[in-house]
Amino acid sequence: MAKDSGDIGVTRRALLGGLTATAAAALVSGAAALPRSDVESWDSQADVLVVGSGAAGVAAAIEARQAGAQVLLIESLAQFGGSSAMSAGVIYAGGGTALQKALRVQDSVEDMFRFISLVGTVHPPLEKIQLYCEGSPEHFDWLVAQGVPYTDKLTLAKGLPMGDESLYYSGNEQAWPARELARPAPRGHVPGVAGMNGGRRLMQALLLQATTAGVELRHSVRADRLVTERDGSIAGVLVTVAGEQLAIGVRRGLVLASGGFIHNRDMLMQYAPQLFDCSVPWGNADDQGDGINMGIAVGAAALRMSEGFAIAPIYPPESVLSGIIVNASGQRFITEDAYHGVLGDAIAYHQQGRAWLITDRDSSYSFHQDNFLPVAEASTIGDLAAQLDFPKGALQQTVAYYNRHAANGEDPMFRKSPAYLRPLQGPPYTVWDLSATQAFFPAHTFGGLHTTVDGQVLDSFNKQISGLYAAGRNTSGIPTAPYIASGLSVGDCTFFGRRAGRAAASLEAKA
Amino acid sequence: MIRPLQSVALVGCALLFAGPLNAQQVMSSGDVAKGRLLFATCRTCHYAEPAMGHNNGPNLHRIFGKVVGEQADFEYYSDTFKAAQFVWTPEFMFVWLENPMAMFPDSTMMSRGVPDPQQRVDLIAFLKQASVRDPQVND
Repeated sequence: MAKDSGDIGVTRRALLGGLTATAAAALVSGAAALPRSDVESWDSQADVLVVGSGAAGVAAAIEARQAGAQVLLIESLAQFGGSSAMSAGVIYAGGGTALQKALRVQDSVEDMFRFISLVGTVHPPLEKIQLYCEGSPEHFDWLVAQGVPYTDKLTLAKGLPMGDESLYYSGNEQAWPARELARPAPRGHVPGVAGMNGGRRLMQALLLQATTAGVELRHSVRADRLVTERDGSIAGVLVTVAGEQLAIGVRRGLVLASGGFIHNRDMLMQYAPQLFDCSVPWGNADDQGDGINMGIAVGAAALRMSEGFAIAPIYPPESVLSGIIVNASGQRFITEDAYHGVLGDAIAYHQQGRAWLITDRDSSYSFHQDNFLPVAEASTIGDLAAQLDFPKGALQQTVAYYNRHAANGEDPMFRKSPAYLRPLQGPPYTVWDLSATQAFFPAHTFGGLHTTVDGQVLDSFNKQISGLYAAGRNTSGIPTAPYIASGLSVGDCTFFGRRAGRAAASLEAKA
Repeated sequence: MIRPLQSVALVGCALLFAGPLNAQQVMSSGDVAKGRLLFATCRTCHYAEPAMGHNNGPNLHRIFGKVVGEQADFEYYSDTFKAAQFVWTPEFMFVWLENPMAMFPDSTMMSRGVPDPQQRVDLIAFLKQASVRDPQVND
């Protein structure tokens, strides 16, 4: 698909040849920006340079190219696709997409907006959410036009379809209180391939489209530091290719789209200690936060850096949702049928990373699974509690209260869906460890650079950094904590990646 | 060009006999419980349960003894793995996982590896255990 990275389109030369002595000496430091005056000449130039080949970067590259710009996209690893290619490839879309209409699903922009803006974080990014919802039907059409395959099939089962269905309830829509805040609709649009590899299919299509459109794609090229003009605008970037450093000049705009920082343990400890404790860093190997740090180094503001996707994937099977989940006080704290990102957030951020699932005979995992280990088993709740460290009588009281109301089809505390609500009764009772450090508890980051709806990176004074754009998990966008539905992240990557690419291409080219 | 089999064997021997852990330890000293959590990150792309099939990476149930790059119905091996002819052993897995991208730069496995040798041993112990247990028994 792309040429070897060694030939970057111009004469290959060591960066030291193109830099002043002062600049060369400064290279030993971190991601701090380099003044343009320290770069004697560019080894290569592009109208629009995109850093990162996940969904955000490739969407930006496609749109920038189609807007008439000459586009170079660089990827630090040997394979294109980023974390998006390793994901399920779900796009959260609604408001009456072509697929929703084909399947006679009722939805509106207003309901989608209400869901995203009311169910998750306090003070969500309303301007981005509004645009995202209003533009969602068009965005889905765009994905189809890029060759992403979808089937006219809907499933009502909870969780990512393992078959080839392309539409499902991908989030917290039907759980309380979401279902009372916004009319639920299935909005998870996933490539119609069996299994969990929709992201690979999504990225195959987008990468092919980028290549066909004339985007120049280079792998094994690592962006190290931004280069700035005297006025603070972005002039280019220093990169490492096969151990050598090169300088790439940017005539119009540079788009940072190199992902989050879940694999950077130091950054996690610094910014997102709750995610540091989650057992499974979930993402591509180079989700190292380089793009975020390069942005911060030129004055960009970074938002919501502690937030992320913390996941406690207790279902499937849905039968376990008839169990109850308790905290260290032996008390319930959430409806068990919450989306696994909402549950994971509640545990990781609000219960000190500790929780336990308690099942009876019929709600127990009936097959071996390595995600959640059984830590106690007994024939009565009292004997179960005695094996654990809950406050005296607390678990018995929790179960008695829950059972009394569940027998009447009620859950006054958290209004669990009737489909899963019944008394917990019938030994053996089992306790499963859902703690962030011991359970299968994947996480990735949502914090990133502050951007406008067009991907323009903003500094701490809300001023635009001229020539600098960002998209995807390099930014703080639609996904915030708690994560309320699968597809909001890759949806945000593609939707705002496109906008960033168009905006970067629209700048007047420097001579 | 050196065939992957030969180059890997050389690297493997050097590490196994010079490092803090020898081949015997790789075979016998792993902690399955710790390996379970270490493998959780690998689950981004690999399953160890036969029923789950392939993911972004091939299924790893009973991986030891299989020829590299030849599992049925998995189409995403790198060219190096397709051309390779060696067989997965715990010893080779131990060497490979230290820094996969350094050993095979074109690998489709997007992992920086597991630098800690004891963690690699634990991971391998888990994979061995996951290959022999009865999936119907909730142990």
